[in-house]
Amino acid sequence: MIKKIKASNSEKIIFCFLILLAVITLGTFIILKNKCLFVKNYDPKNINFKNSENIAILNAPCGNIIIELYPHISPNSVERFKRLIESGAYDNVAFHRVIKSKLVQTGDLEFGRKGSLNYEKIGTGKSGLGTIKSEIDNKFDYTKGSVGLARTFKNDTEDSQFFIILQDEPLYEGEYSPVGKVLYGLEVLKKIKHRRHSEYILRPDFINSFKMYK
Amino acid sequence: MNLLKLILLVFVWITPVYGNSIYNLIKIPNLEIYEIDTENRLKYLYAKSSFRLGVQKNIICENSNKDDLDNKYNLINKNLNKYSHNFLKKISLKYIVLCENLSISGINTAGIPDNVMKTLILDIKFDHKYFERVIHHEVFHIINDQHKELFNKNKWEKFNHLKFEYAECSTCTKKIGLERYEKTDGFFTEYSKSTASEDMAEVYSHIIYLDPKKINQIRKLDKILDKKISYIENNIKKIDNSFMFK
Repeated sequence: MIKKIKASNSEKIIFCFLILLAVITLGTFIILKNKCLFVKNYDPKNINFKNSENIAILNAPCGNIIIELYPHISPNSVERFKRLIESGAYDNVAFHRVIKSKLVQTGDLEFGRKGSLNYEKIGTGKSGLGTIKSEIDNKFDYTKGSVGLARTFKNDTEDSQFFIILQDEPLYEGEYSPVGKVLYGLEVLKKIKHRRHSEYILRPDFINSFKMYK
Repeated sequence: MNLLKLILLVFVWITPVYGNSIYNLIKIPNLEIYEIDTENRLKYLYAKSSFRLGVQKNIICENSNKDDLDNKYNLINKNLNKYSHNFLKKISLKYIVLCENLSISGINTAGIPDNVMKTLILDIKFDHKYFERVIHHEVFHIINDQHKELFNKNKWEKFNHLKFEYAECSTCTKKIGLERYEKTDGFFTEYSKSTASEDMAEVYSHIIYLDPKKINQIRKLDKILDKKISYIENNIKKIDNSFMFK
């Protein structure tokens, strides 16, 4: 006959503690693994826009970034930007340069595409449409969330690459052509993969899609 | 060699990246914004701590205290406000860096112009007597570097007496006096005699700084300076026809 052994109180406490520890560990693991857990995803359909024809929706790994474009400030730059967005050129393109809490850069259509990333040349690619002139004469406050076209060291070399700043950068005025500002979704940008030791990203995050709202 | 590479790699690996916007724009470390909301959109920066520049790190400048900066900023701003945003754009000048004890290879200098970086570094502790005029002297170097085709050294040298020769470079001569000659005879200062481009910069800075009546008086008495002044004025007008010398 098997004698039933009754667990003592202290054994019960240890057992409960172990289960609690396992739950906490698992929960923490899920939270840490899912970087998007507490990021609000904005649905443009639930928002009323004043200039809906100038609203662009960039979908990144943690959700939507809703950008208003400013054709009255940089007409040629915005025209180029819209053209590329409407053609779907930015879909599956890497966020190749990310500086934590400072800047996110993407739009290398030649060397930044998912499946054909070229780590040696990323950041130097072209769109095939040629460069456009810098539009830096109009006043523009480069506050947090501003979107500008990237360029090489020289002016008038803007093409397809663009950046979004995550902090105010007053000195960018007169240096980079502004194309718009983020209305919603800055938190989404803050979750884009970055490295502590380098601006350039190994196995970067990608733009899922980038479309005009209308 | 491999060990050195390894050490460098480890160093890069453990050094976190902090994007420095000012450094990224003009490649000068340790700067902070002093004033950027100006009429002609010049951006004034100051050295938070001393910095070294150049391939051989031979350009050195030190930080200043706030009172000195405030005092000299008003003077510099007053002088640089003579230039419109449109003119500054044409000559490629956007950033003014304020620091003190500026030197190149151990030789003290009032300013270092760099039209590629759109930057002028100014030593705010430079001799107060000449300070305001020297600002325009340095601005001329930016103009000259940006519009080399307009300022022909051979043509300029022909304005001088036949036997006169400039030195090989501005630092290979002892002619560094900045005091204006009582009797000019083709040159405003001793430093004008160093090189053609320094001579041009001295003429330009005097046109801007001196009273127009004094300039007219000098023109009447000194035919060489009269030609030099006309040459500078005409070429500046080619850059911006609306430019006012006063």
